[in-house]
Amino acid sequence: MKITFVKKIKVDGSPCRKCAEVQSRLEKDGHIDKIDRTVIADERDNNSEGMQLAKQYEVDRAPFFIVENDDSDPLIYTVYFKLVNEILSGKTNEEDAARDILDSNDLDFI
Amino acid sequence: MITENFNSKQLAQDYDEQSPAAIIKLALGSFDKIAISFSGAEDVVLVDIATKINPGVKVFSLDTGRLHAETYRFIEQVRAHYNIEIDVLSPDTKAVQDLVRSKGLYSFYKDGHKECCSIRKVIPLRRHLAGLDAWITGQRKDQSPDTRNAVPVVEKDPAFSSAEKNFYKFNPLANWTSAQVWEYIRSNDVPFNALHEQGFSSIGCEPCTRPVLPNQHEREGRWWWEESTQKECGLHVADQKK
Repeated sequence: MKITFVKKIKVDGSPCRKCAEVQSRLEKDGHIDKIDRTVIADERDNNSEGMQLAKQYEVDRAPFFIVENDDSDPLIYTVYFKLVNEILSGKTNEEDAARDILDSNDLDFI
Repeated sequence: MITENFNSKQLAQDYDEQSPAAIIKLALGSFDKIAISFSGAEDVVLVDIATKINPGVKVFSLDTGRLHAETYRFIEQVRAHYNIEIDVLSPDTKAVQDLVRSKGLYSFYKDGHKECCSIRKVIPLRRHLAGLDAWITGQRKDQSPDTRNAVPVVEKDPAFSSAEKNFYKFNPLANWTSAQVWEYIRSNDVPFNALHEQGFSSIGCEPCTRPVLPNQHEREGRWWWEESTQKECGLHVADQKK
């Protein structure tokens, strides 16, 4: 299994707050060593590897993770707690999970 | 019921130009465990259409504890008008108490709305959706043009899907404008929230919602103090022709 972590640099060149937060949680939760590659999606450069991966996998959120296995199609995770629960065999609390959902999805309509 | 091999991508294309009624009919015909999310605002249109198709349709509302009195009265009005049950979902008492004890009643003005929304909305929503296979929402493209240009009429909902189960979301009003929604409400004598007559376009919790002027976008009435950070998680393609 190979896990790629795609982080964003915003149009103004500043780092994405949520991406930094997720990286910090990966480190704090002891999962950072399970990330095989970290790739940048630079919003100033549509040809940056991360932007190309976002286009390839039709992802419109950052950060996101690509989980590749030899015997199946890649899995895409845009919600950190789901990656932790389903791939990294870890656990997250309900409030962190809810916050991840809110950060990664447009739920203003509810 | 089509709960397996539900091809949401193909159906999104097939139904993109169909009426909300046709999309709701597809939703209710495809899933037994499905419910309408009713926010107490103009998404009452969903309830009106759906009850004509299935009078026993399941409806739920999130009671954050901070809604306007008008919204509570409106939820009751809708319950009586359509003679339906509405599951009114409450947040976890301890989580709310812990938040209020540590940060007070208005922490969202300082720390942003997401912490409070997570506790008062998302956790109860997630618990409720865990017992369903799909939900129907009033999400429209014109509510937030920057982030909702790609709202399909039906989609796999990654936020609430799991490794064990795919979960789906129907957005029957995705392609309707606010004007079309209001034309439907007036043409069909659909009841509406009294706040709409006081200048509220988008209705949420009382401290986080304010009226907007006629030339303002409805989203300017929600979380106005943190506008600049709203869309930070989106990936935006730069205009490289410049």
